Amino acid sequence: MNIRKIVTLSEEILTEGGRPVEPAARVAIAVAVIDNPWAGQGFVEDLSQGIDATASDLGKLLTPKVIEALGAPVEAYGKAAIVGIEGEIEHGSALIHTLKFGDHYRKAASATTLLPAVEKRAPAGTVFDIPMKHITDATIRSHHQSVEVRIADAPHAGEILIALAASAQGRPQERLAPLTTEQ
Amino acid sequence: MSEAGLTSLAVDLPEPGNAPGIEDLARTLGVRKINVVTEEILRDGHGALATSVTRAAAAAIIRNPWSGSVVSTDLAPHTERIAPVLAKILTDRLTAVLGGTGEIEAFGKSAVVGLNGEMEHAAALIHTPYFGNLVREFLDGTSILCFSDDRAEPGASIAVPMWHKTAASTRSHYQTITLNVSDAPHPDEIVVVAAASTGPRPHPRIGDRTTDRPVTAEILEEILP
Repeated sequence: MNIRKIVTLSEEILTEGGRPVEPAARVAIAVAVIDNPWAGQGFVEDLSQGIDATASDLGKLLTPKVIEALGAPVEAYGKAAIVGIEGEIEHGSALIHTLKFGDHYRKAASATTLLPAVEKRAPAGTVFDIPMKHITDATIRSHHQSVEVRIADAPHAGEILIALAASAQGRPQERLAPLTTEQ
Repeated sequence: MSEAGLTSLAVDLPEPGNAPGIEDLARTLGVRKINVVTEEILRDGHGALATSVTRAAAAAIIRNPWSGSVVSTDLAPHTERIAPVLAKILTDRLTAVLGGTGEIEAFGKSAVVGLNGEMEHAAALIHTPYFGNLVREFLDGTSILCFSDDRAEPGASIAVPMWHKTAASTRSHYQTITLNVSDAPHPDEIVVVAAASTGPRPHPRIGDRTTDRPVTAEILEEILP
Protein backbone atom coordinates (compact mmCIF):
# COMPACT_ATOMS: atom_id res chain seq x y z
CA MET A 1 0.00 0.00 0.00
CA ASN A 2 1.46 3.31 -1.09
CA ILE A 3 0.02 6.14 1.02
CA ARG A 4 0.40 9.78 -0.06
CA LYS A 5 -1.31 11.37 2.89
CA ILE A 6 -3.60 10.80 5.83
CA VAL A 7 -6.23 13.41 6.62
CA THR A 8 -8.41 13.67 9.71
CA LEU A 9 -11.37 15.98 10.15
CA SER A 10 -13.36 16.68 13.27
CA GLU A 11 -16.37 18.81 13.96
CA GLU A 12 -17.74 19.95 17.31
CA ILE A 13 -21.24 21.36 17.04
CA LEU A 14 -21.97 23.79 19.88
CA THR A 15 -25.28 25.15 18.61
CA GLU A 16 -27.80 24.00 16.01
CA GLY A 17 -31.04 25.63 14.97
CA GLY A 18 -30.14 28.55 17.20
CA ARG A 19 -30.17 26.41 20.33
CA PRO A 20 -27.26 25.09 22.39
CA VAL A 21 -26.08 21.52 21.88
CA GLU A 22 -24.79 20.27 25.24
CA PRO A 23 -22.49 18.51 25.33
CA ALA A 24 -21.17 19.55 21.94
CA ALA A 25 -21.95 17.00 19.22
CA ARG A 26 -18.81 15.38 17.79
CA VAL A 27 -18.21 13.93 14.34
CA ALA A 28 -14.88 12.79 12.88
CA ILE A 29 -13.47 11.37 9.67
CA ALA A 30 -10.14 9.71 8.86
CA VAL A 31 -9.01 9.53 5.24
CA ALA A 32 -6.14 7.74 3.53
CA VAL A 33 -5.12 8.74 0.02
CA ILE A 34 -3.40 5.78 -1.64
CA ASP A 35 -2.26 4.66 -5.07
CA ASN A 36 -4.95 2.59 -6.79
CA PRO A 37 -3.50 -0.95 -6.42
CA TRP A 38 -4.85 -1.82 -9.89
CA ALA A 39 -3.73 1.35 -11.69
CA GLY A 40 -2.34 0.77 -15.18
CA GLN A 41 -3.25 -2.93 -15.27
CA GLY A 42 -6.26 -2.71 -17.59
CA PHE A 43 -9.36 -4.70 -16.60
CA VAL A 44 -8.33 -6.99 -13.75
CA GLU A 45 -10.75 -9.90 -13.50
CA ASP A 46 -9.73 -11.15 -10.07
CA LEU A 47 -9.33 -8.36 -7.52
CA SER A 48 -8.56 -10.64 -4.58
CA GLN A 49 -4.79 -10.18 -4.67
CA GLY A 50 -5.06 -6.38 -4.38
CA ILE A 51 -7.74 -6.72 -1.72
CA ASP A 52 -5.56 -9.06 0.35
CA ALA A 53 -2.59 -6.73 0.01
CA THR A 54 -4.45 -3.58 0.99
CA ALA A 55 -7.91 -3.80 2.59
CA SER A 56 -6.97 -5.11 6.02
CA ASP A 57 -4.01 -2.74 6.35
CA LEU A 58 -6.28 0.20 5.47
CA GLY A 59 -8.85 -0.80 8.08
CA LYS A 60 -6.10 -1.20 10.66
CA LEU A 61 -4.62 2.20 9.78
CA LEU A 62 -7.81 4.26 9.72
CA THR A 63 -9.62 2.76 12.72
CA PRO A 64 -7.46 4.29 15.48
CA LYS A 65 -7.21 7.55 13.54
CA VAL A 66 -10.97 8.09 13.39
CA ILE A 67 -11.54 6.99 16.98
CA GLU A 68 -8.79 9.29 18.24
CA ALA A 69 -10.11 12.21 16.16
CA LEU A 70 -13.59 11.66 17.59
CA GLY A 71 -12.33 11.62 21.18
CA ALA A 72 -15.49 9.91 22.43
CA PRO A 73 -17.24 6.53 22.12
CA VAL A 74 -18.52 5.85 18.61
CA GLU A 75 -22.32 5.62 18.34
CA ALA A 76 -22.76 5.90 14.57
CA TYR A 77 -20.40 5.11 11.72
CA GLY A 78 -19.89 4.93 7.98
CA LYS A 79 -17.24 4.60 5.25
CA ALA A 80 -16.31 5.88 1.81
CA ALA A 81 -14.27 5.01 -1.27
CA ILE A 82 -13.66 7.68 -3.88
CA VAL A 83 -11.80 6.42 -6.93
CA GLY A 84 -9.71 8.69 -9.14
CA ILE A 85 -10.98 9.03 -12.67
CA GLU A 86 -8.66 6.46 -14.24
CA GLY A 87 -9.93 3.69 -11.95
CA GLU A 88 -13.12 1.66 -11.65
CA ILE A 89 -15.67 2.22 -8.91
CA GLU A 90 -15.25 -1.52 -8.35
CA HIS A 91 -11.69 -0.83 -7.19
CA GLY A 92 -12.96 1.36 -4.37
CA SER A 93 -15.70 -1.10 -3.52
CA ALA A 94 -13.11 -3.88 -3.40
CA LEU A 95 -11.15 -2.06 -0.71
CA ILE A 96 -14.08 -1.26 1.60
CA HIS A 97 -16.71 -3.95 0.98
CA THR A 98 -14.94 -6.90 2.58
CA LEU A 99 -14.88 -7.92 6.22
CA LYS A 100 -11.09 -7.62 6.03
CA PHE A 101 -11.54 -3.84 5.96
CA GLY A 102 -14.56 -3.23 8.15
CA ASP A 103 -13.94 -5.72 10.94
CA HIS A 104 -11.09 -3.67 12.41
CA TYR A 105 -13.48 -0.75 12.93
CA ARG A 106 -16.42 -2.89 14.07
CA LYS A 107 -14.28 -4.63 16.68
CA ALA A 108 -12.69 -1.41 18.00
CA ALA A 109 -16.07 0.34 18.25
CA SER A 110 -17.86 -2.73 19.72
CA ALA A 111 -20.16 -2.49 16.72
CA THR A 112 -22.29 -5.13 15.04
CA THR A 113 -24.02 -3.54 12.04
CA LEU A 114 -22.76 -3.19 8.50
CA LEU A 115 -21.09 0.12 7.72
CA PRO A 116 -23.15 2.39 5.46
CA ALA A 117 -21.04 3.52 2.52
CA VAL A 118 -20.60 5.90 -0.37
CA GLU A 119 -18.61 4.96 -3.46
CA LYS A 120 -17.97 7.12 -6.47
CA ARG A 121 -15.44 8.02 -9.14
CA ALA A 122 -14.51 11.67 -9.17
CA PRO A 123 -11.74 14.22 -9.68
CA ALA A 124 -9.63 15.72 -6.90
CA GLY A 125 -11.55 18.12 -4.70
CA THR A 126 -14.85 16.35 -5.18
CA VAL A 127 -17.41 16.80 -2.43
CA PHE A 128 -18.83 13.60 -1.00
CA ASP A 129 -21.11 12.79 1.90
CA ILE A 130 -20.52 9.80 4.16
CA PRO A 131 -23.73 8.28 5.53
CA MET A 132 -23.68 7.05 9.10
CA LYS A 133 -26.01 4.78 11.07
CA HIS A 134 -26.05 3.41 14.61
CA ILE A 135 -23.29 0.88 15.31
CA THR A 136 -25.53 -1.84 16.76
CA ASP A 137 -28.99 -1.14 15.36
CA ALA A 138 -29.29 0.44 11.93
CA THR A 139 -32.98 1.21 12.54
CA ILE A 140 -32.30 3.76 15.28
CA ARG A 141 -33.61 6.83 13.52
CA SER A 142 -31.94 9.44 15.73
CA HIS A 143 -28.54 8.30 14.47
CA HIS A 144 -29.20 8.50 10.70
CA GLN A 145 -26.84 11.30 9.63
CA SER A 146 -24.23 12.29 7.06
CA VAL A 147 -21.02 14.25 7.07
CA GLU A 148 -19.49 16.10 4.15
CA VAL A 149 -15.87 15.71 3.10
CA ARG A 150 -13.69 17.45 0.54
CA ILE A 151 -9.96 16.94 0.11
CA ALA A 152 -8.70 19.70 -2.17
CA ASP A 153 -6.02 17.67 -3.99
CA ALA A 154 -7.32 14.10 -3.85
CA PRO A 155 -7.93 11.68 -5.38
CA HIS A 156 -5.52 12.06 -8.29
CA ALA A 157 -6.57 10.09 -11.38
CA GLY A 158 -4.58 7.03 -10.29
CA GLU A 159 -5.43 7.21 -6.60
CA ILE A 160 -8.20 6.02 -4.30
CA LEU A 161 -9.41 7.91 -1.25
CA ILE A 162 -10.65 5.65 1.55
CA ALA A 163 -12.42 7.07 4.61
CA LEU A 164 -14.01 6.06 7.89
CA ALA A 165 -16.51 8.34 9.64
CA ALA A 166 -17.70 8.36 13.25
CA SER A 167 -20.28 10.23 15.27
CA ALA A 168 -20.45 10.28 19.06
CA GLN A 169 -24.22 10.82 19.12
CA GLY A 170 -27.30 11.17 16.99
CA ARG A 171 -28.12 14.30 15.04
CA PRO A 172 -27.91 17.57 16.96
CA GLN A 173 -31.46 18.51 18.07
CA GLU A 174 -32.78 15.16 16.82
CA ARG A 175 -36.49 14.99 17.59
CA LEU A 176 -38.12 12.55 15.18
CA ALA A 177 -40.39 9.83 16.53
CA PRO A 178 -38.66 6.42 16.46
CA LEU A 179 -39.42 3.89 13.75
CA THR A 180 -41.42 1.78 16.23
CA THR A 181 -44.08 4.48 16.45
CA GLU A 182 -44.98 3.80 12.82
CA GLN A 183 -45.07 0.01 13.04
CA MET B 1 -26.23 45.55 17.77
CA SER B 2 -27.96 47.26 20.66
CA GLU B 3 -26.25 48.35 23.85
CA ALA B 4 -28.10 45.58 25.67
CA GLY B 5 -26.61 43.09 23.21
CA LEU B 6 -23.14 44.42 23.90
CA THR B 7 -23.57 44.14 27.65
CA SER B 8 -24.73 40.55 27.38
CA LEU B 9 -21.41 39.63 25.76
CA ALA B 10 -19.30 40.94 28.62
CA VAL B 11 -17.37 38.00 30.04
CA ASP B 12 -14.37 37.31 32.21
CA LEU B 13 -11.70 35.39 30.34
CA PRO B 14 -10.26 32.31 32.04
CA GLU B 15 -6.52 32.13 32.60
CA PRO B 16 -4.68 30.70 29.59
CA GLY B 17 -3.81 27.05 30.13
CA ASN B 18 -6.54 26.66 32.70
CA ALA B 19 -9.77 27.08 30.89
CA PRO B 20 -12.66 25.15 32.38
CA GLY B 21 -15.79 25.65 30.36
CA ILE B 22 -14.22 27.67 27.59
CA GLU B 23 -16.41 25.87 25.06
CA ASP B 24 -19.43 27.13 27.00
CA LEU B 25 -17.96 30.61 26.84
CA ALA B 26 -17.38 30.21 23.10
CA ARG B 27 -21.00 29.12 22.67
CA THR B 28 -22.14 32.19 24.57
CA LEU B 29 -20.06 34.35 22.25
CA GLY B 30 -21.84 32.85 19.23
CA VAL B 31 -19.59 29.95 18.18
CA ARG B 32 -21.69 27.40 16.28
CA LYS B 33 -19.04 24.83 15.39
CA ILE B 34 -15.34 24.11 15.72
CA ASN B 35 -13.79 22.18 12.84
CA VAL B 36 -10.30 20.72 12.79
CA VAL B 37 -8.44 19.24 9.83
CA THR B 38 -5.07 17.50 9.93
CA GLU B 39 -3.04 16.38 6.96
CA GLU B 40 -0.09 14.04 7.42
CA ILE B 41 1.97 14.07 4.24
CA LEU B 42 3.97 10.91 3.63
CA ARG B 43 4.79 11.34 -0.04
CA ASP B 44 4.69 14.09 -2.65
CA GLY B 45 5.50 13.86 -6.31
CA HIS B 46 7.42 10.63 -6.88
CA GLY B 47 9.25 10.57 -3.59
CA ALA B 48 8.47 9.60 -0.01
CA LEU B 49 9.36 12.09 2.71
CA ALA B 50 12.15 11.03 5.05
CA THR B 51 10.09 12.52 7.87
CA SER B 52 6.37 13.02 7.42
CA VAL B 53 4.99 16.52 7.93
CA THR B 54 1.62 17.18 9.53
CA ARG B 55 -0.33 20.35 8.94
CA ALA B 56 -3.47 21.29 10.80
CA ALA B 57 -6.09 23.99 10.73
CA ALA B 58 -8.67 24.73 13.39
CA ALA B 59 -11.70 26.80 12.44
CA ALA B 60 -14.35 28.42 14.61
CA ILE B 61 -17.65 29.29 12.98
CA ILE B 62 -19.03 32.27 14.84
CA ARG B 63 -22.02 34.54 14.51
CA ASN B 64 -20.94 37.90 13.06
CA PRO B 65 -21.48 40.22 16.04
CA TRP B 66 -21.60 43.25 13.71
CA SER B 67 -24.03 41.89 11.14
CA GLY B 68 -26.37 44.66 10.04
CA SER B 69 -24.36 47.38 11.79
CA VAL B 70 -23.34 50.63 10.09
CA VAL B 71 -19.79 51.11 8.83
CA SER B 72 -19.01 53.66 11.54
CA THR B 73 -19.56 51.02 14.25
CA ASP B 74 -16.65 50.72 16.69
CA LEU B 75 -15.42 47.14 16.31
CA ALA B 76 -13.18 47.16 19.39
CA PRO B 77 -15.62 46.11 22.15
CA HIS B 78 -16.66 42.82 20.53
CA THR B 79 -13.16 42.18 19.18
CA GLU B 80 -11.63 42.46 22.63
CA ARG B 81 -14.10 39.96 24.10
CA ILE B 82 -14.32 37.45 21.26
CA ALA B 83 -10.88 37.27 19.62
CA PRO B 84 -8.95 36.07 22.72
CA VAL B 85 -11.41 33.22 23.25
CA LEU B 86 -11.09 32.17 19.60
CA ALA B 87 -7.28 32.27 19.88
CA LYS B 88 -7.47 29.97 22.90
CA ILE B 89 -9.93 27.38 21.58
CA LEU B 90 -8.23 27.20 18.18
CA THR B 91 -4.65 26.91 19.44
CA ASP B 92 -5.73 24.34 22.04
CA ARG B 93 -6.93 22.16 19.19
CA LEU B 94 -3.82 22.72 17.08
CA THR B 95 -1.47 21.76 19.90
CA ALA B 96 -3.63 18.73 20.74
CA VAL B 97 -3.56 17.28 17.22
CA LEU B 98 0.07 18.22 16.46
CA GLY B 99 1.60 16.92 19.68
CA GLY B 100 2.30 20.18 21.51
CA THR B 101 3.82 23.57 20.74
CA GLY B 102 7.28 22.02 20.58
CA GLU B 103 6.29 20.13 17.44
CA ILE B 104 5.00 23.23 15.65
CA GLU B 105 7.39 25.01 13.27
CA ALA B 106 5.08 27.17 11.14
CA PHE B 107 1.81 29.01 11.65
CA GLY B 108 -0.80 31.20 9.96
CA LYS B 109 -4.36 32.49 10.24
CA SER B 110 -7.41 33.31 8.18
CA ALA B 111 -10.88 34.81 8.44
CA VAL B 112 -13.75 34.46 5.97
CA VAL B 113 -16.82 36.62 6.50
CA GLY B 114 -20.26 35.64 5.22
CA LEU B 115 -21.90 37.63 2.45
CA ASN B 116 -23.84 39.98 4.74
CA GLY B 117 -20.69 41.15 6.52
CA GLU B 118 -17.88 43.59 5.84
CA MET B 119 -14.32 42.53 5.07
CA GLU B 120 -13.45 44.69 8.06
CA HIS B 121 -15.43 42.32 10.29
CA ALA B 122 -13.18 39.42 9.27
CA ALA B 123 -10.12 41.61 9.75
CA ALA B 124 -11.25 42.66 13.22
CA LEU B 125 -11.20 39.11 14.56
CA ILE B 126 -7.70 38.18 13.33
CA HIS B 127 -5.67 41.36 12.73
CA THR B 128 -5.47 42.76 16.25
CA PRO B 129 -3.32 41.74 19.22
CA TYR B 130 -6.43 40.25 20.82
CA PHE B 131 -6.09 37.34 18.37
CA GLY B 132 -2.59 37.49 16.89
CA ASN B 133 -0.61 38.04 20.06
CA LEU B 134 -2.39 35.20 21.79
CA VAL B 135 -1.98 32.75 18.92
CA ARG B 136 1.72 33.62 18.82
CA GLU B 137 2.05 33.18 22.58
CA PHE B 138 0.10 29.91 22.75
CA LEU B 139 2.09 28.41 19.85
CA ASP B 140 5.39 29.71 21.28
CA GLY B 141 6.31 31.78 18.23
CA THR B 142 7.82 35.18 17.63
CA SER B 143 7.06 35.89 13.96
CA ILE B 144 4.25 38.06 12.73
CA LEU B 145 1.44 35.76 11.56
CA CYS B 146 0.81 35.53 7.83
CA PHE B 147 -2.82 35.44 6.83
CA SER B 148 -5.61 35.36 4.28
CA ASP B 149 -9.02 36.97 4.49
CA ASP B 150 -12.04 36.68 2.26
CA ARG B 151 -15.80 37.02 1.97
CA ALA B 152 -17.51 33.93 0.62
CA GLU B 153 -20.47 31.60 0.32
CA PRO B 154 -20.78 28.60 2.66
CA GLY B 155 -18.45 25.76 1.69
CA ALA B 156 -15.87 28.02 0.08
CA SER B 157 -12.33 26.76 -0.14
CA ILE B 158 -10.17 28.53 2.46
CA ALA B 159 -6.42 28.60 1.81
CA VAL B 160 -4.48 29.44 4.97
CA PRO B 161 -0.87 30.50 4.42
CA MET B 162 1.82 29.65 6.95
CA TRP B 163 5.44 30.52 7.51
CA HIS B 164 8.08 29.77 10.13
CA LYS B 165 6.94 30.76 13.61
CA THR B 166 10.27 32.24 14.70
CA ALA B 167 12.02 33.01 11.39
CA ALA B 168 9.41 34.22 8.92
CA SER B 169 11.81 34.47 5.98
CA THR B 170 12.71 30.76 6.12
CA ARG B 171 11.71 29.86 2.58
CA SER B 172 11.31 26.11 3.17
CA HIS B 173 8.41 26.79 5.52
CA TYR B 174 6.26 28.86 3.16
CA GLN B 175 3.23 26.61 2.77
CA THR B 176 -0.55 26.55 2.72
CA ILE B 177 -3.29 24.31 4.08
CA THR B 178 -6.65 24.28 2.35
CA LEU B 179 -9.91 23.50 4.10
CA ASN B 180 -13.59 24.08 3.71
CA VAL B 181 -16.54 23.86 6.06
CA SER B 182 -19.56 22.56 4.18
CA ASP B 183 -22.19 24.88 5.65
CA ALA B 184 -20.16 27.92 6.72
CA PRO B 185 -19.98 30.83 6.75
CA HIS B 186 -23.71 31.59 6.72
CA PRO B 187 -24.31 35.15 5.49
CA ASP B 188 -24.25 36.35 9.11
CA GLU B 189 -21.26 34.27 10.26
CA ILE B 190 -17.46 34.50 10.21
CA VAL B 191 -15.04 31.56 9.93
CA VAL B 192 -11.88 32.22 11.93
CA VAL B 193 -8.93 29.86 11.35
CA ALA B 194 -5.58 29.23 13.01
CA ALA B 195 -3.19 26.85 11.26
CA ALA B 196 0.13 25.22 12.03
CA SER B 197 2.62 22.78 10.55
CA THR B 198 5.24 20.47 12.05
CA GLY B 199 7.75 21.10 9.28
CA PRO B 200 8.54 22.49 5.85
CA ARG B 201 6.97 21.81 2.47
CA PRO B 202 7.52 18.32 1.08
CA HIS B 203 10.94 18.16 -0.63
CA PRO B 204 11.93 21.84 -0.13
CA ARG B 205 14.74 22.68 -2.53
CA ILE B 206 14.43 26.25 -3.76
CA GLY B 207 17.27 27.67 -1.72
CA ASP B 208 17.02 30.52 0.72
CA ARG B 209 18.04 34.14 1.06
CA THR B 210 21.50 33.01 2.07
CA THR B 211 21.99 31.07 -1.17
CA ASP B 212 20.35 33.49 -3.65
CA ARG B 213 22.52 35.57 -5.94
CA PRO B 214 21.38 39.19 -6.36
CA VAL B 215 18.35 39.16 -8.68
CA THR B 216 17.07 42.31 -10.41
CA ALA B 217 15.18 43.10 -13.60
CA GLU B 218 18.50 42.72 -15.44
CA ILE B 219 17.97 38.96 -15.16
CA LEU B 220 15.60 39.28 -18.12
CA GLU B 221 18.54 40.22 -20.33
CA GLU B 222 20.07 36.81 -19.67
CA ILE B 223 16.81 35.02 -20.42
CA LEU B 224 15.52 36.93 -23.42
CA PRO B 225 17.00 35.74 -26.76
